[in-house]
Amino acid sequence: MTTIAPPINVRRGAARWWRDYISMLRWHLASLRMWFVTLTVVQVLTGAGFVLGISLFFKHIPVRAALFASTGVPVLNLLMVGLILGPQLVADQKANGSQEYLRTIPVGRLATAGAWYTVCLAGGVPAMVVSLLVAWLRYDIPLHVSVMIVPAIALTTFTGAMFGYALAHAIVNPMATRLITQLLVFVIFGFAPILFPIAQMPRWLGTLNWWFPFRHMAVVIRAALTSGPNSAVLAAYGVLGAWSVLCAALAGRALGRRA
Amino acid sequence: MTVEKCLEPSLASRADDWSLRIDGITKRFGALVANDEITLRVAPGEVYGLLGPNGAGKSTLVRQTIGLLKPTTGTITLGPFDLVADPDAARQLCSYLPQAQLPIESFRVREAIELAGRIRSGRTREVSMRTDTLVEALDIGEWGDTLGKNLSGGLKRLVGFCMATVCPGRVVILDEPTNDVDPLRRRLLWEQVRELGSAGCAVLLVTHNVLEAEKSVDRLAVIDQGHVVADGTPASLKAADRSQLRLQVALAPGITTPALPPWAGPATRVGHNLVTTIAEKDASAGIAWAASLVDAGVAEEYALGGTTLEDAYIRLTSHMSGDDDETSLRR
Repeated sequence: MTTIAPPINVRRGAARWWRDYISMLRWHLASLRMWFVTLTVVQVLTGAGFVLGISLFFKHIPVRAALFASTGVPVLNLLMVGLILGPQLVADQKANGSQEYLRTIPVGRLATAGAWYTVCLAGGVPAMVVSLLVAWLRYDIPLHVSVMIVPAIALTTFTGAMFGYALAHAIVNPMATRLITQLLVFVIFGFAPILFPIAQMPRWLGTLNWWFPFRHMAVVIRAALTSGPNSAVLAAYGVLGAWSVLCAALAGRALGRRA
Repeated sequence: MTVEKCLEPSLASRADDWSLRIDGITKRFGALVANDEITLRVAPGEVYGLLGPNGAGKSTLVRQTIGLLKPTTGTITLGPFDLVADPDAARQLCSYLPQAQLPIESFRVREAIELAGRIRSGRTREVSMRTDTLVEALDIGEWGDTLGKNLSGGLKRLVGFCMATVCPGRVVILDEPTNDVDPLRRRLLWEQVRELGSAGCAVLLVTHNVLEAEKSVDRLAVIDQGHVVADGTPASLKAADRSQLRLQVALAPGITTPALPPWAGPATRVGHNLVTTIAEKDASAGIAWAASLVDAGVAEEYALGGTTLEDAYIRLTSHMSGDDDETSLRR
């Protein structure tokens, strides 16, 4: 019979972080095993469907509208897992009590968040690539993908994942989390300048959007897919960076909170 | 028995005494005092039971130990570590099976156990061997590749036990570990709990099933309304009932509880069962009273025997163990 003697010390430091990260990545992927392929397929179909469906609003879709839709849908692809699915999974875990176990396993909070971020990237990037491919084939839009697409994807996904992480853990009531994520879908599709130019919005709504991250996600992704960086892009990176740090701090504080 | 180390042996000198010390823990939720000045110590190798009715404050106490809740006042230490000030240390040094089911719907049984072991810093080969041991010991090998969503509640509970003990902490906290588990595997599980003690773990066992606890724990504390109302070995808690007998009457369906004779102790009714204690000298009167209930059609049968830990528990808490649908009866 094999037994493993109980620990006699506490692990700290970078080596622990990496080990925890790998363990939690395996945990997240195994947790989503029954859904991950389906989720990716749905993401791909949703993205491609949106790109194609937007042309139905026009008899002859203008190039500018096609360009905005084609470069906006990838933002939605990158956001959905972290911002919408993540909080709903945590809400379910809170409702059925299993979140308590996850809060007691000996892994660092940063490692857990890092592993979840990796899952969000894996769930969003393939759908983004397919959406862009469909857009290019359907509309023949002038895409000029720069190397800045890498930090744009990384930061957009990170901000979305941390925003969702903060929603999931800082809001105690699971039903409130579900309702807020539903509201976010509504706001992002209809009232954030992701799929259309900000100039088409009332001025006050455009100003309000400046303070939220979604508009800036579209700015950095669109810039990396079309004309390259400019002053608006640098400001967008700054706002996204601030939001991601704020959300990560909120989530970390919520995870460490002991009533 | 092969003993494998999770961490470097040279670090062992950091701690002389790995007893879990809970000192003066009070936990308030607003006006509600869930734990009130609770003090107890669990030594390495000891299986310590926390008994009490639902809402007594048992789970609140263990949730403070594992770092989920912060005590209002009091300290919890383990070896050289202050678990209140350092909840990360609490998570690493204590392993926990919560009362709720674990999130293993998408995991295969062996995979869930091995991953839990890896998360708890076990080495791959050792965790794999330990998983084999546990799966075999609990007789759940035929479900080794089954997804959690296809397991019964009892099997999920056993998998949760394996996840908490595959690479056990200095303190292993088990909150109602045998819920939904079949009687045969309950016995196997209790054997593994004893093995944890043999490996040097302090086991903190939360239950309201006194009959099971009596056979499994070295010492126990009875908690009621946030207070420790008694603690000691099962034998010492039963000592006060040494000259008492347990009278259990199975009432006929639909019958209201009959009036108790003046020489009967506090009684508790669970379903159709009415349980009380009587002095040995009143044995004849007790049998006559119970027989008269049967003759009158009020009861279907009765039993008179030696007292158990449950009788001490009823005396201390006015609750019967292991059932929520109960009524405490006082004359």
